[in-house]
Amino acid sequence: MPKILIVDDEPFIRLLLEQVLEELEDEGVELITADNGETALDIIRREIPELVFLDVMMPKMNGFDVCNAVKNELATKSVYIVLLTAKGQEFDKLKGVEVGADVYMTKPFNPDEVLQKARSVLGL
Amino acid sequence: MIPGCLDKLIKKRALAPIISRLVADMDASIIIEDNVGRLLIATDGAEELTRYPVTSAGEVIGWVIGTEKVAVIASILTGMAETEDQKRALVSETLNKYKEITLLYDVVEKVSSCLDTREIARLVIEEARKVIKLTSVSVLLLDKQTDTLKLIGEYGHGDEASYTVSRGVGIAGSVWASGRAEIVNDVHSDPRFVEGAVSISSLICAPLKAKDTVVGLIKLGNDQPVTYTAEDLKLFSTLASLAAVAIENASLYEQLKDAFYMTIYTLAETIEKRDPYTGNHTKRVMEYSLAIGKTLGLSEEDMLRLQLGAVLHDIGKIGIRDNVLLKESALTDEEFKQIKMHPVYGEEIISQISQLKSAVPGVKHHHEKFDGKGYPDGLKGNTIDITARIISVADTFDAMTSTRPYRIGLTLDVAFEELKKYSGSQFDPEVVDAFFASDVMEAYFTSNSRQKIKL
Repeated sequence: MPKILIVDDEPFIRLLLEQVLEELEDEGVELITADNGETALDIIRREIPELVFLDVMMPKMNGFDVCNAVKNELATKSVYIVLLTAKGQEFDKLKGVEVGADVYMTKPFNPDEVLQKARSVLGL
Repeated sequence: MIPGCLDKLIKKRALAPIISRLVADMDASIIIEDNVGRLLIATDGAEELTRYPVTSAGEVIGWVIGTEKVAVIASILTGMAETEDQKRALVSETLNKYKEITLLYDVVEKVSSCLDTREIARLVIEEARKVIKLTSVSVLLLDKQTDTLKLIGEYGHGDEASYTVSRGVGIAGSVWASGRAEIVNDVHSDPRFVEGAVSISSLICAPLKAKDTVVGLIKLGNDQPVTYTAEDLKLFSTLASLAAVAIENASLYEQLKDAFYMTIYTLAETIEKRDPYTGNHTKRVMEYSLAIGKTLGLSEEDMLRLQLGAVLHDIGKIGIRDNVLLKESALTDEEFKQIKMHPVYGEEIISQISQLKSAVPGVKHHHEKFDGKGYPDGLKGNTIDITARIISVADTFDAMTSTRPYRIGLTLDVAFEELKKYSGSQFDPEVVDAFFASDVMEAYFTSNSRQKIKL
């Protein structure tokens, strides 16, 4: 069963992303959420989701560090990572490339783009 | 209501433990089923007693069955369902706004950097189509000469591409006159409506304004009746403002460019006034040069430099005294030395304008020779800027074929022979070849007033 992990410390963002991706649940996709980097890393190592939407600005462990860890471990490096950041912090794109993120999206995100990306990564 | 939504509700991560706790603590038999009778939760010894409905948005989504003790569970579930509904609605609304915002960010970025009015119109139309339900859009600009609005971009107009709007005529004309955007959801009941070739039932029309004057209009419509909202109007007006600013910008840029070029030509003409026998020399040299440049496949940037250089190539002659410049007989060595200063004077004059710096090589080096024996710098071969090498051929050809105070013009054939003779020494052979291959002959005859005399 394909899994998508949504990681953001703001509950509202998790809610938005869940609702955007909701229709995929009817197609057999499981949506998991996490509200911080450490938990996210645990979940990724355990569940190996196909796709992760990862917020950058989070306390304790930020998105860059999570991404870096995931991409440097053999078991998890194939996990597709979408880094999410607030608009206006586009200079972070370079950092994103550095840590191996697959794609960079700014918030507010375009809901159509998010759904399209999920479908494309999961092959649905 | 969607079947299974009660099921989804009680399985929600945050709610499930609460519900199981409630059911357990109830200490009474309970059955919870959804609105199609599917069993969701059932405890032992449950008997069919009273059915208490769970509702969401006024519809029954399921039942809690048991003694009257369990009625409170039905109420709680109804409360939870309501909260869920509200949350969903808020999230939906937010997602719509996100979509609008990201599309707007995108279009603002693209339109702001655009200096072509048709491209601006195209971008705005594309954007409108993404965010508003429509079947046709048109962008019109004011044509000052006819005092009508003319189409510069459209979608869904089919053959009616010659659509124009006259002041005060139709709903569009009325918006033009009032300068205020309007929604008309039922055009047929509006007395101002004028039937056109494009089928419309509902429309939104917004003026494009620059400093409070209407410079254009955008209009969108749907051939089916729809209800455009204040929200749609706001979005559309935002696009209209964006378009207006961008178009005004593009227009000012064009005007500025035109003023600049007109000034350059006028500047070049000052020389002509002092030396009347030069006649249309500058114009012809420019035409010949451009024809050669075209044959050589010069880039747009180089063609522009070439044009400016050709127009200004003799501007330095303003620094040459009349007794030398207008002398009717051959020049002495001393006088020739003075005339040879004109490329340098030309450079000194135009290099003061930053927009003309790229034309300096053409002006300064049009008397250099391919073999390095020219002036002022004795540059050789390809170190001479291409524009200078071209102007050299064009200038010489025109000098040979036109009549000067001191000499009658040569025939075409003789001039051609001279070019060929000095190809490689005075002239860049590639440029000479390009000259012969170009449509310069056409330019030659359009420049008229020939005084061709056979030697």
